[in-house]
Amino acid sequence: MSFEGVLRASVLACGVYLAVLYTSYIWLLAVSFVETRRRRRERAVDDLDVLTDSRFAPGVSIIVPAFNESVGLPGAVRSLLSLDYPEFEVIVVNDGSTDDTLERLVDDLDLVPADTTSREVVSTVPVRGYYRSASDRRLLVIDKVNAGKADALNAGLNHSRYRYVCGVDADMVFARGALSRAMREIAREPGLVVGLTSYFENARDPAASLADGVHFSGPETRPLFAFQTFDYLRAFFANRTSWARMNFMLCAAGPFQLWRRDLVEELGGWERSFTCEDLEFTFRAHRVLRERRRDYRIACLPDCVGVTEGPDSVRKLVAQRERWQRVVLETCWANRRMWFNPRYGTVGMLGVPFFIISEILAPILEVLAIATLAAGGVTGRIDWTDFALLTLFVAFANSALTAGALLMQDREARAYRASGIARLLALMPFELFLYRPIMGWARLKGTWRFLRGDRAWHKFERNVRTEAAA
Amino acid sequence: VDDGTLLVLACAAAGVTWLLFAAAIAWGRLRMAARRRAAREPVVHTGWPTEGAQPRSPAHGDEPRALLERGLRSSERDVRVAAITALGRLGARHEWAVDGLIEALATEADTPARVAAELDRLAPRPGARLAPLLGHPSDVVRFYAVRLLAGYPEPARHELLALTRDRSPNVRAAALEGLRPVGSPSALRAALACLEDTHPSVRAQAIRTASALGGDAATPFVARLLDDDSWWVRETAREALATSRDHAGTTVELALRSGIERARLATRQWSAPPGPDIDAGLTGAVP
Repeated sequence: MSFEGVLRASVLACGVYLAVLYTSYIWLLAVSFVETRRRRRERAVDDLDVLTDSRFAPGVSIIVPAFNESVGLPGAVRSLLSLDYPEFEVIVVNDGSTDDTLERLVDDLDLVPADTTSREVVSTVPVRGYYRSASDRRLLVIDKVNAGKADALNAGLNHSRYRYVCGVDADMVFARGALSRAMREIAREPGLVVGLTSYFENARDPAASLADGVHFSGPETRPLFAFQTFDYLRAFFANRTSWARMNFMLCAAGPFQLWRRDLVEELGGWERSFTCEDLEFTFRAHRVLRERRRDYRIACLPDCVGVTEGPDSVRKLVAQRERWQRVVLETCWANRRMWFNPRYGTVGMLGVPFFIISEILAPILEVLAIATLAAGGVTGRIDWTDFALLTLFVAFANSALTAGALLMQDREARAYRASGIARLLALMPFELFLYRPIMGWARLKGTWRFLRGDRAWHKFERNVRTEAAA
Repeated sequence: VDDGTLLVLACAAAGVTWLLFAAAIAWGRLRMAARRRAAREPVVHTGWPTEGAQPRSPAHGDEPRALLERGLRSSERDVRVAAITALGRLGARHEWAVDGLIEALATEADTPARVAAELDRLAPRPGARLAPLLGHPSDVVRFYAVRLLAGYPEPARHELLALTRDRSPNVRAAALEGLRPVGSPSALRAALACLEDTHPSVRAQAIRTASALGGDAATPFVARLLDDDSWWVRETAREALATSRDHAGTTVELALRSGIERARLATRQWSAPPGPDIDAGLTGAVP
């Protein structure tokens, strides 16, 4: 094939990819609008606060895996203990922290050594000790040898007593109504909903952003945080909401993943051999439940359950996103028998293919597009006006998708100030030029590390800790 | 149409969509602000006929009842849920609404937990009217009826005792929980008998009830379950034995301070030495 032919084929591949991707996004956005509207109608006729305030509310065991989280963890645990829900326990698992996480917990939360036993439904590395809060019996702290987040979650699972378990991140600060909002969905269909996740905000300092546990002071409008907010908005309002509607919600996000305990136990707990546990567990739940022909639903809710800490530098952001890319690749590869397999219904025919197109093929196509552009530029075969128009189209199309997600979020919560919304809207067209190249680099790095078999977490320093150290 | 024109059109379409979404956000905000303003303003000179604000005559009393009863039988879930919500709100003022909710629980019009929560909020008014549900053929309905009656078990004391031998383990466990505030020798006897139940959740619940009612006297029976096959039972037994003394102290204090009937009954069991009835219960129930 001639050089001209190769160039044409590359342009065609990129064009087809863009067309498929944007058609999928538009379709998902449309489904999300229908779903959020349905939810608003449901809320109008139902008063589920009655249930979540009553003694008929199902109990929840909240598991907080923590590794070197001494700065934010006591605040996160306090926010959990102030949750507005009648029946829950908090199990903090200190996963062999090398800093003073345990000491800080003991001092700040009035912990005393406790005597308890494990159900040992899932095997974990040895536990070194147990602590219970003298002031609040709902808090149990497990101190164990380091073995990763999945193992810490499993240790928590072994000690959980309630029908539902909720895995959360230690850097997150929770809204007081987080659990009530999440459990409404389960109260509606307790026999069907086996797992769920819910929207959360992103900020540099979660504790300051949700100081009273009710009102979010955001959004952060500094470009790096605003662009991350766009990611979260699209991920939850444009993607996960519609995935859930079509029953292929493929990622119950790590910062807030709520599961029925018997299902987690049936699946053998969270898998330790993956870089990250949340995506893999959700895939596995779908796979096993579909293979066993069970009726089930994994939901995604639009309610904001809290604020998580977003990376405040490009370096940290790349470290986080390259890890996410690795997890996507590891999980999709491990579940390759689900690809385009009608046995797995919408998961196999729609969900996994969408993941492959939007997450796995993206870095490859990005490299191809850049190479084609460079080759075309060098040989003088690029029409720069058309190129500028195409770039402008992609920038506006991304902005439209993000604005659609923001519209849904605003209708749900009205949580942002008008000035914040205006700034977010103004920043949207710049995302393609300022943020996407960073994401492209992170995805490439993640793909490379996946191919090398890297399974490390590459934890980045917490923002507040960096400041304190400085 | 050449490529350039197509690209211009695509750009314009994407840009306009972005602006339309932005305008929709602004419009939603303006509507919200207008609604808030309206809510703050006093309602005056509405132009509505004044009789519209008068209470309905008794002749109209049955209209909402009939409407909500029809709603409970609707094939649409949203309508059934709305009817339950409305009955829950009206239950504070109208006895027929409480009856409607009990009917909704009996016919399983929606998730039973949902209906039970509404009834629980209206406690103690449903009271003895829940007792007929204890004989309902559905395990689920019996379970929720037992749990509802646990808040005020006197109206159905004998039924609760009988339900500790129900065919459903959930109902047996709930009945044991319901017996805890009763504080009678027969309740203790039933709890001790259930320590031998085949289902772990029933044994665990029996431990709690036996410890609460029998105190130290129940210790030897509870201690046997420290070697139970089920972790839940072992852990419940361990906790019951570890905290029984502290718990007794707290219960006594609570009773002295507040005079709550439930605490008073429990305290009587804690502070008095086991009488002949309780002795009979302890020796008779477990071989």
